[in-house]
Amino acid sequence: MMSPAAVLKRAAPVLACIGLLAIWQAAALLLKNDSFPTAIEAIRAIPDILGDKEALINILASLRRMAMGFGIAVLFSIPLGLLMGRSRAVAAFFNPLLMVIYPVPKAALMPIIMLWLGVGDITKTLVIFLGVSLPVIYHSFEGAKAVEEKMLWSGAAMGLSSLQRLVRIVLPAALPEILTGCRTGLVLALITMITSEMIARQSGAGNILFNALDMGQYDTVFAMIIIVGAMGICLDAIFERIRARLVRWSEPQFDMPLSFS
Amino acid sequence: MKVVPSRSSEWVRPVTSQKPASAIIEIDRVSQVFQTSARKDHLALSNISLTVDEGAFVSILGPSGCGKSTLLYIVGGFVSPTSGVAKIKGQAITGPGPDRGPVFQEFALFPWKTVLGNVMYGPRQQGVRASEAEAQSRSLIEMVGLKGYENFYPKELSGGMKQRVALARTLAYHPEVLLMDEPFGALDAHTRTRLQNDLLNIWERDRKTVLFVTHSVDEAVFLSDKVVMMSKSPGRIRQVIDIDLPRPRRRNELLLDPRYQKYVVDIERMFDESDEVGASS
Ligand SMILES: Nc1ncnc2c1ncn2[C@@H]1O[C@H](COP(=O)(O)OP(=O)(O)OP(=O)(O)O)[C@@H](O)[C@H]1O
Ligand SMILES: [Mg+2]
Repeated sequence: MMSPAAVLKRAAPVLACIGLLAIWQAAALLLKNDSFPTAIEAIRAIPDILGDKEALINILASLRRMAMGFGIAVLFSIPLGLLMGRSRAVAAFFNPLLMVIYPVPKAALMPIIMLWLGVGDITKTLVIFLGVSLPVIYHSFEGAKAVEEKMLWSGAAMGLSSLQRLVRIVLPAALPEILTGCRTGLVLALITMITSEMIARQSGAGNILFNALDMGQYDTVFAMIIIVGAMGICLDAIFERIRARLVRWSEPQFDMPLSFS
Repeated sequence: MKVVPSRSSEWVRPVTSQKPASAIIEIDRVSQVFQTSARKDHLALSNISLTVDEGAFVSILGPSGCGKSTLLYIVGGFVSPTSGVAKIKGQAITGPGPDRGPVFQEFALFPWKTVLGNVMYGPRQQGVRASEAEAQSRSLIEMVGLKGYENFYPKELSGGMKQRVALARTLAYHPEVLLMDEPFGALDAHTRTRLQNDLLNIWERDRKTVLFVTHSVDEAVFLSDKVVMMSKSPGRIRQVIDIDLPRPRRRNELLLDPRYQKYVVDIERMFDESDEVGASS
């Protein structure tokens, strides 16, 4: 059984959503503006979009690019960040490069990338990759730097080579920090995905959104915003569950399994 | 005015002399300088020479900051000395190896592993079969008094419990030399006594070489064949005292033994003297 407090805690995000939609509904009814549909109108437009095969293919294509960009970025950034955190030379080599790339909005690079690689999947995936990489590198770097030296010494005394120590000590020890970076990266992947499709309008969720905007189909625009937002919330929630499970050992309060929810 | 002997001639061997066949660790005129932000060059160890015989139990006693840990790290191969050489079995130490098992003052457990996972880590790395490593590890965990905590994470243990896991983790891969840095420092008197006895039993059975850092004079005399007394700023060896007490040692017998009591009193007095010297200089 869940206690009332636990029920409230679980219901809080749902209540927040309902509250937000209610405010939206009230504001739209008050303003009576053509470009500001009510929440109910927007929600009604959602089944139309999700029922449309074309739109569905577009959204799935977006998700695929996002998954690719995110996946490649994580596979590339974690080893790089860990190496930077453990080797002064590697850090000194990559730091200036990353410092230059860091503040540049990745979407601003799109025109150049489009020029070189066209407006297809590669360009968009590359922009997502760039967006995700930096926070993951940064957090992996910080995590690796903070690994207690005596832990590595203990490993060395047991006969672990330096590569083994990186994989079997630095990686798990830095995992909480790495996953924090990945969580930021996941949200950034969604943002860059939509932005990239806004700039290179060819397919994808962002394309549907901005086409509808061009054509004045405002309930579709808002419906897409809801869909993209819901995608973000779901992905983040799923990721958070995985993260919490992987780094249970590091949580400050180790909660005992009181319920199996 | 007392003259404090800076060296004992009996154990400081000139480099030219032949080394005894049974020496396992030879530290030859080792100095360690640290570059610190506050003080530019800090001499942590000054001209340390020490020989440890195979199977000997040697304790290092000294005030905080005199370089005991640093000396242990040099023998462990984790730190290379600024000058001088440290040798293990005649070979210059160039890095860590499974022949020397450290138990760090800071425990340095793997927080993502359970107690069992931590203790099994070394044997598994050495290629011991999982079932065998687990069985050995479980009995070691029981020996250090942590039966029932096998599946706890380090985060869930007290300081003393972590220290016992660290000890078990190192014992698990059977290093020839144990490098123990105040391994019982965080324990209550009762557990401390128990673990001293256990360590002594293991040692009397396996005759591992032990280099043991401690703050406790009782502990050093009770456990050791030799007590190395260090002084501070710069870290030097003041004196080495052979503890000539019969083995196997039983705590209750030894505490009543006047020879034991004399060692303890003498060493404590030497410490007080060094404090006076330190204060007046
Ligand atoms: N990495 C380092 N960088 C700079 N100085 C250091 C470093 N490690 C140790 N020192 C200095 O060397 C001296 C000896 O340190 P060490 O840790 O070996 O002392 P200790 O005898 O083990 O002390 P304690 O009993 O408190 O553990 C100290 O003065 C310390 O400040
Ligand atoms: Mg120390």
